[in-house]
Amino acid sequence: MKRSEALSNVLEKPAEADVLARLDPSILSLERRLQAFEHFSHAHSGRERPGRYWRVDLESLAPDIATFDFDAAASIDNPNANVLACDLRAAAGQHAERFARAFGATGVADTKFGALTTAFARAGAFVYVPADTQASEPITIEYDLPDGAASFPYTVVLAEAGSDVTIVERYRGAPRFVSGVAEIVTGENARVAFASHQQLAGTTQCVQTRLALPGKDATIDWMAADIGAALSVNELAVAIEQPGITAGVTSVFFPNGKQHVDVLSRIEHSVGNSVSNTVVKSAAIDSGQARYVGNIVIAERAQGSNAALRDDALLLSKQAHIDSVPALEIAANDVKAYHGATVGALDPDQIFYMQSRGIAAAAAERMIAIAFFEPAIERFPTRGLRDEIRAAIESKLTTR
Amino acid sequence: MSNRGLRIAGLHCSVDGKSILNGIDLAVEPGKVHALMGPNGSGKSTLAFALTGHPRYDVTRGTVSLDGEDLLDMSPDKRARAGLFLSFQYPAAIPGIKVANFLHAARQAVRPDSLAPAKFRALLMEKMDVLGMDPAFMSRYLNDGFSGGEKKRLEMLQLAVLGPKYAVLDETDSGLDVDALRDVCASVQALRQQDEGRDAGYLIITHYPRILQYIAPDVVHVMLDGRIVKTGGADLAHRIEREGYDTIREEIGSVV
Repeated sequence: MKRSEALSNVLEKPAEADVLARLDPSILSLERRLQAFEHFSHAHSGRERPGRYWRVDLESLAPDIATFDFDAAASIDNPNANVLACDLRAAAGQHAERFARAFGATGVADTKFGALTTAFARAGAFVYVPADTQASEPITIEYDLPDGAASFPYTVVLAEAGSDVTIVERYRGAPRFVSGVAEIVTGENARVAFASHQQLAGTTQCVQTRLALPGKDATIDWMAADIGAALSVNELAVAIEQPGITAGVTSVFFPNGKQHVDVLSRIEHSVGNSVSNTVVKSAAIDSGQARYVGNIVIAERAQGSNAALRDDALLLSKQAHIDSVPALEIAANDVKAYHGATVGALDPDQIFYMQSRGIAAAAAERMIAIAFFEPAIERFPTRGLRDEIRAAIESKLTTR
Repeated sequence: MSNRGLRIAGLHCSVDGKSILNGIDLAVEPGKVHALMGPNGSGKSTLAFALTGHPRYDVTRGTVSLDGEDLLDMSPDKRARAGLFLSFQYPAAIPGIKVANFLHAARQAVRPDSLAPAKFRALLMEKMDVLGMDPAFMSRYLNDGFSGGEKKRLEMLQLAVLGPKYAVLDETDSGLDVDALRDVCASVQALRQQDEGRDAGYLIITHYPRILQYIAPDVVHVMLDGRIVKTGGADLAHRIEREGYDTIREEIGSVV
C-alpha cells in the first residue's frame, strides 16, 4: 500500500488520522501507523462468527476513536536489577536498537487486531533480558485502563540467548474498548513465561493478540486467564521456526452472565524436534458463550515434532455454550500429536461421592467446578496470581 | 437402646425401573461386624448405594433407620453426617481436588467441631502410617491415576478420619494383593480397638471370604437374587469358601 493511498483512506476518518498524527513517531512513524490502520480496516480477522448463540460480529469490531486514551500508562514492577523494563517511549528513545529488534518482529501487524494496536501504540512496556541473565523475580506489568476509553496496551519482550524471565501482566479497569498486544522474541535457549490476567469490567470489549517468536532450543509459555470483559477475544500463538523449541499454552476462561469469550491458540511447527503442550480449561454458566479454537500446524519438514492439546469444557447451565474446535493440520509423518477434548456437565458420580462424605451438594458442585480448572491454574506462575484466578472463578460460582 | 443400630426392614430397590432388591431385612448393631456375601449380580452393591442414597437407586418399599433416625428421608450428605459411611468399590476420581483438602472438607462436614489444622495433620499421619501410605499421597489429586490398591487405602483412610457409626465396605478386598489387604484390614482393626471406634458397626460386602480371615464377622448373611437367603455365624463363610454359592442355591431352591 502506497503512503498516499493509505493516507487518503485514513483521511476519510479524520478522527483516526488526527489521533495517529499526534502519537509518538519515535515509537512508530506516522507512515507505518497509517499503514497498520489501513490493514486493520480491510483485513479479515480470520475468525468465523463463533457459534449460533454468539451475538458479536468480530469483523465490525472497532474502537470509537473519540474516546482514545492518551493518558494510559503501564505500571511496571521490576525487582530485577539485571533486567530492563521500561515504557515504550523510553524503549524507543534510549534502547532503540534493542527495541527495534523485537517491536513488530513477530508479525503482529499482519493480524487484524494486532495491526490496530500497532497503529495506536503509545502505552506499553518493553522488557529486555540480557544474554545469560536470570530474572529471579517475576516482572509485573499492569494496565489499569480508564473508564470509557479506547486503549491499546502493547508489551514487548526481548530475551537474549540463555536468559530466563517470568512476566505477569494484568488488564484492569472499565474501558469501553481494548486491543492489546504482547510480543515475545528470544535468542537461543532462552526461557520466557508470560502470564496474563484479563480482569476488565463487564462493559468492556477486549481483543488480545499474543505472538511469540522463540529462538533455537528456547522455551515459551503463554498462560492466559480471561476472566473479565463483556467480550474477550484472545489469540495465543507460538511460531516454531527453529529446532529444539518447547512451547506451552495455557488458557483459562469462564464466561458468566452474558459474557462472550473467543480464544484461539495457534502453534506452528515449521521445523522439527520441537515440543508443544496446550492445556485449556473452560467453563460457562448463566448465558455465557465461548469458543475455543486449538490450531496446531505441523509442516511437512517438521519431522520429530511432538504436539499435545488438552481441552476440557464444563457447562454449568442450560443456556451456557462452549464450542470447542480442535484444528490439527499435520503434514509430516514422523510426529507425535495428541489431542483430547471433553465438553460436559458436572459428573453426578463425583457429586455423589463428595456427598457420601458429608459435603452438601451445592458445596460439592462448587468444589468440583473450581477443581476442574486446577490443572491449568497450577501452570501459572506465582502463588498470588494463582489465588487471584481461583478467587475470580469462585466468585462467578457464588454470586449467582 | 432398642432402636440403636443400622436397621433395614423390607427394603425394595430398583435401578432404571428394574427391581434389584426384593425385601431386605438386616440389622447391624453397634460394635458388630456383619458380612454380606453373595455372587456377582446378587444385589450387594445395590444395597450399599440404596443405603447411601445414590439418586439412581430408587427405594420403592421398606425402611432404613440409623440409631432410630429415618435414613431414607435424608440426602446422601445428611446420611454421612448422621454417621453412615460407604467405602466405594469404585471411588470417583476428582482431578483438581487434593487428597488433604478433600479429607479436611469431609471431616469438617461430618464433625463441625473439627480438629485444629496441626492436630488434623497429626491424625492423618498416624492413620496413614497404619495403612502404609506415603505422605506424598496428600498432595495428589483425589483418586486421579490411583491404582486399585491406592484407592482402597484412601477409602480406609477416610473411614479412619471420619469415624462413622456404621460403615459399609463394598468389595473393599477386590483387586487387592495380600499386602494391601493386610494393611486395609489392619486399619479397620486398629479403628475398632480405639475408644471412639469400638461402637462402630460394620457391614462388609464381599464376594470372597478372604477378607473375613482378617476381620472376623459376628454374623454372615448370604444374598441371592436380591434377598438374604441365609444368615449364620463365621462358619457360613467357611462353607462358602469350600463349596461356593451353588449348594446354598440348591438348598434354597429345594425349600422354595
